[in-house]
Amino acid sequence: MTTLLYTHPACLEHDTSFGHPECPARLTAILNALRTAPFAALEWRDAPQATVEQLTRIHPRAYIERIFARVPRQGNFALDGDTILSPQSGEAALRAAGAVCAAVDAIVQGEASNAFCAIRPPGHHAEPNQAMGFCLFSNAAIGAAHARVAHGLARVAIIDFDVHHGNGTQAAVERDPGYLYISTHQAYIYPGTGRRGERGIGNIVNIPLLAGSGSADLRHVWRQEIEPALREFKPQLILISAGFDAHHMDPLAELNFNEEDYAWLTRRISAVAADFCAGQVVSILEGGYNLSALAASVAAHVKALMEAPARGHTP
Amino acid sequence: MYEFLKYEVRDAMTADPIAIGPNARLREVEEIFENHDFNGVPVVDDQRRLLGILTKFDLLKAFGLGVHALAPHYDAIMEQPAAAVMTHDPVSVEPRLPLSRLLQKLVEMRTKSLPVVENGRLVGIIARQDVLKALRRATIQHEIPLHQDSPS
Ligand SMILES: [Zn+2]
Repeated sequence: MTTLLYTHPACLEHDTSFGHPECPARLTAILNALRTAPFAALEWRDAPQATVEQLTRIHPRAYIERIFARVPRQGNFALDGDTILSPQSGEAALRAAGAVCAAVDAIVQGEASNAFCAIRPPGHHAEPNQAMGFCLFSNAAIGAAHARVAHGLARVAIIDFDVHHGNGTQAAVERDPGYLYISTHQAYIYPGTGRRGERGIGNIVNIPLLAGSGSADLRHVWRQEIEPALREFKPQLILISAGFDAHHMDPLAELNFNEEDYAWLTRRISAVAADFCAGQVVSILEGGYNLSALAASVAAHVKALMEAPARGHTP
Repeated sequence: MYEFLKYEVRDAMTADPIAIGPNARLREVEEIFENHDFNGVPVVDDQRRLLGILTKFDLLKAFGLGVHALAPHYDAIMEQPAAAVMTHDPVSVEPRLPLSRLLQKLVEMRTKSLPVVENGRLVGIIARQDVLKALRRATIQHEIPLHQDSPS
């Protein structure tokens, strides 16, 4: 079945200031890779803007207004040292969250089996009341809440393989048993959260990895922890916070994943989705700061989504 | 053959070394490293009392990945004061310490240099290279120690 690709030109207009690692060129590199022949079967769709109703399921209205009040008319405004706004950042952030909600709509309604949201700004560090770590709105949590509220799903899983812990996603879902959040990340780097002891109400699985961990470690924790937790939860939809900064060439961390690891992990996640929810997966771009490694990793990830089976063994 | 045993730290150290105040910016410290062959620079108050030492290692550490920022804020870190990243209460030695003992300390601590302190004031710095020079003097040129008042 089809794989959808959600993106929008506004996501290229979010300008984080000269030299910033979370730059428009990231998305350009990804989209160029996805325009090549092996990806001809992708169905490209424009990301709509998220509605206030969709955003307020996670973020207080006052927070949303505060973000928009700080979007500058020209130049840049720094919310903190990492998180920079430009005139188009407001629309880009709405398209990023809107892409996830639209992808959830399309997948849950059976228009396609899975989707990739090629969007920025990323979202998994944005807490309900705090923008940080390049993130404004908690895209994955907003999409998960949309699946629960608008489509009545009882169980939505979020798998976050970005090298940084998704503190924002965790904060948004940690008190609701309808969500399972599983994160692999490098220990002792930004944002400092994601320790094993952070378990929410039993619906959070944090798997910190030591600097230098690579392919074998990823396979080990998948078999020992991620897959069992996922299968026990019996997800009706799986969201992926797909950051590619655990790649061995990434400048902002020290894990050693490669393109094939991302393809392998995507196949494993898709196999679980096939068993429990007709292969329904919505993947959302988070980090990844080496442009060629990012483009190659996204290509491997999306190729695996395109080749994923919709039906598994245990219906 | 055993001249080296007569040497003291003061015979080999760099006297009155360049030092910085606790508020010196890391940008200035980097410039010192750029222009001099130092591995570390002592941090002193206005009475030249030793407060700390700031090494290239300390400087590198300041730019490493941490929990407080996703990407290190390189320009902002360059503006930090020396006191924020220096090693506090550094090991120091006295000028009269036998150089053989100082050598032993450098090896055990794997450190590249140590500040020399007398009556609480910074009077010198002694580095690996200074000790090597003294060894050369003692074993190849067989010179006598430089200080005047030591028993010979
Ligand atoms: Zn990341």
